[in-house]
Amino acid sequence: MRPARNRAADRSNRAWACLMTGTAGTQGAPSLPEPGVKIPARAFGPFEKEALARYAAVSGDDNPIHLDVKAAKSAGLFDTPVQGMLMLSCFEPFIKEWRPDLSVARLSCKFLSPVFAGDSIRISGRAISRRDSPRPESVLRLMAHGPDNRLAILCEATVRCNALGRPR
Amino acid sequence: MTADAHQWKHGGSESVELPPLQVRTAKRDVAAFASATGGALELGSVPLTFPACWLALPPVRALITDSIGAGFLPVHEAQNFTYERGLELDCDYALCVEASRTEPPPRLTLRISVANPQGEICARLETVLRIVPTGPGPAL
Repeated sequence: MRPARNRAADRSNRAWACLMTGTAGTQGAPSLPEPGVKIPARAFGPFEKEALARYAAVSGDDNPIHLDVKAAKSAGLFDTPVQGMLMLSCFEPFIKEWRPDLSVARLSCKFLSPVFAGDSIRISGRAISRRDSPRPESVLRLMAHGPDNRLAILCEATVRCNALGRPR
Repeated sequence: MTADAHQWKHGGSESVELPPLQVRTAKRDVAAFASATGGALELGSVPLTFPACWLALPPVRALITDSIGAGFLPVHEAQNFTYERGLELDCDYALCVEASRTEPPPRLTLRISVANPQGEICARLETVLRIVPTGPGPAL
């Protein structure tokens, strides 16, 4: 019989190999999302005017177009738009709720159309690629749609397994 | 407010760099941010988007305002966060901010790095602001 210390080392090595290859060779071991895997959609909001004001207060993003209808109209909008960063802040919880074992190393987005005060967004996404080097990580394509199904935010997130040197 | 007042370093005709700014991930501020964005504060973690708060620091705000000019508003067009290592609660960081204006169409791009006291880069941000004139126009 092999010493317990060696068996523990074997288990550790298998788990590490699983992480490196993204294959769950051991039941319950963490693995990176495979391309094509869908993330269950989730709604965030509604973002009421009070929520916009609260975010403005804590973040300092008090651009008047988010808080004052008159300023919004002067910029060609019919109402106050939700701060893009407030909506973008929903993406990390969206990923962490789906896979608490993942950390987001990179989040890159484009704000494509405004979402207005009182509206909600629905975030959805899927894994589009996975690589093993230089570091094991997967790329997720994420989208936030507004109430009329208009694409509001298009995002890409690079995620890593927490166990591999949690980037954040 | 002039560029001299900010002691800006011009890296090019349209690029401006602020002197490093001292920032802190005060637990109280982070908790307030997490609450306002609907997320619970994980013990020991700073939300990925929290550094966006530092865009509102007076020198950064002045840089944006001066770069955009009167009669225009910044509209957030794109945002990028890249982390080398996570930010920790109640820690000091150095913020380096560089702004460059391009056109057409008129845009202001802010490139920001966040370094720990050891000088290691923890995170990089890129913020792209479209510059739109204020005044009546077609409602979106």
